[in-house]
Amino acid sequence: MADTVLFEFLHTEMVAELWAPDPDPGPGGQKTSLTVLESMGFRVGQTLGERLPQETLGFREELDVLRFLCKDLWVAVFHKQMDSLRTNHQGTYVLQDNSFRLLIPMASGLQYVEEAPKFLAFTCGLLCGTLHTLGFQSLVTAFVTALPACKFQVVIQKP
Amino acid sequence: MECVYTTEFKLMYGMLFSIRSFVSKMSPLDMKDGFLAFQTSRYKLHYYETPTGIKVVMNTDLGVGPIRDVLHHIYSALYVELVVKNPLCPLGQTVQSELFRSRLDSYVRSLSFFSARAG
Repeated sequence: MADTVLFEFLHTEMVAELWAPDPDPGPGGQKTSLTVLESMGFRVGQTLGERLPQETLGFREELDVLRFLCKDLWVAVFHKQMDSLRTNHQGTYVLQDNSFRLLIPMASGLQYVEEAPKFLAFTCGLLCGTLHTLGFQSLVTAFVTALPACKFQVVIQKP
Repeated sequence: MECVYTTEFKLMYGMLFSIRSFVSKMSPLDMKDGFLAFQTSRYKLHYYETPTGIKVVMNTDLGVGPIRDVLHHIYSALYVELVVKNPLCPLGQTVQSELFRSRLDSYVRSLSFFSARAG
């Protein structure tokens, strides 16, 4: 099993690289960088979604897929399970990680809160891509109030 | 606060650099760890340097023995984990991370030779 820091360092460089040419690209440029990160995460999520699930017919319903994200996917990528999963049973789910691996070295509280979204974009895409492979269109957004905890809101789109 | 300490840092860097090269030249046999510490009648300065050139310096009372493992812990468990791995702390610049500052503070306070009395 590869050292977990390898992914962390690579992720740090991805974010740095996208922000490097123009440290303050303004709202338009910043949105592009976030989109690039999300689409990278999306493609990784798609392939992980193919490779990870052990049982072929394990998913009977939406909630099972979300549970798979919180347990198997999170353990495979971040070596821990999601701390909580809430839903309104109408297609909206909130996944909460109280000590998100990519945010842990940064701060424990309010410092760097404005910078945090850059480091969550890839992971949002990851969730979206995995869901896509498993047959669900979704919209994923991330929220941070105090590091290193963060929430991912997943809204499943009805066809 | 930063202005007060900058001169002190420069003086300290110059001194440590000179002592290190002096120690290696004066050593009769091959050195293992090199410069470890120096003491005056008032305080003892402990030194630890990594292969990458990061220097950890701690000033203590005279009664404190070798603390190489403490300095190593500060480097590996605090500096590497909270500064090197922090994408928002560019290496080579002053550390702005409050997390690093607070963890370092609690670690030092937890050391057996730390006395709260001295502040």
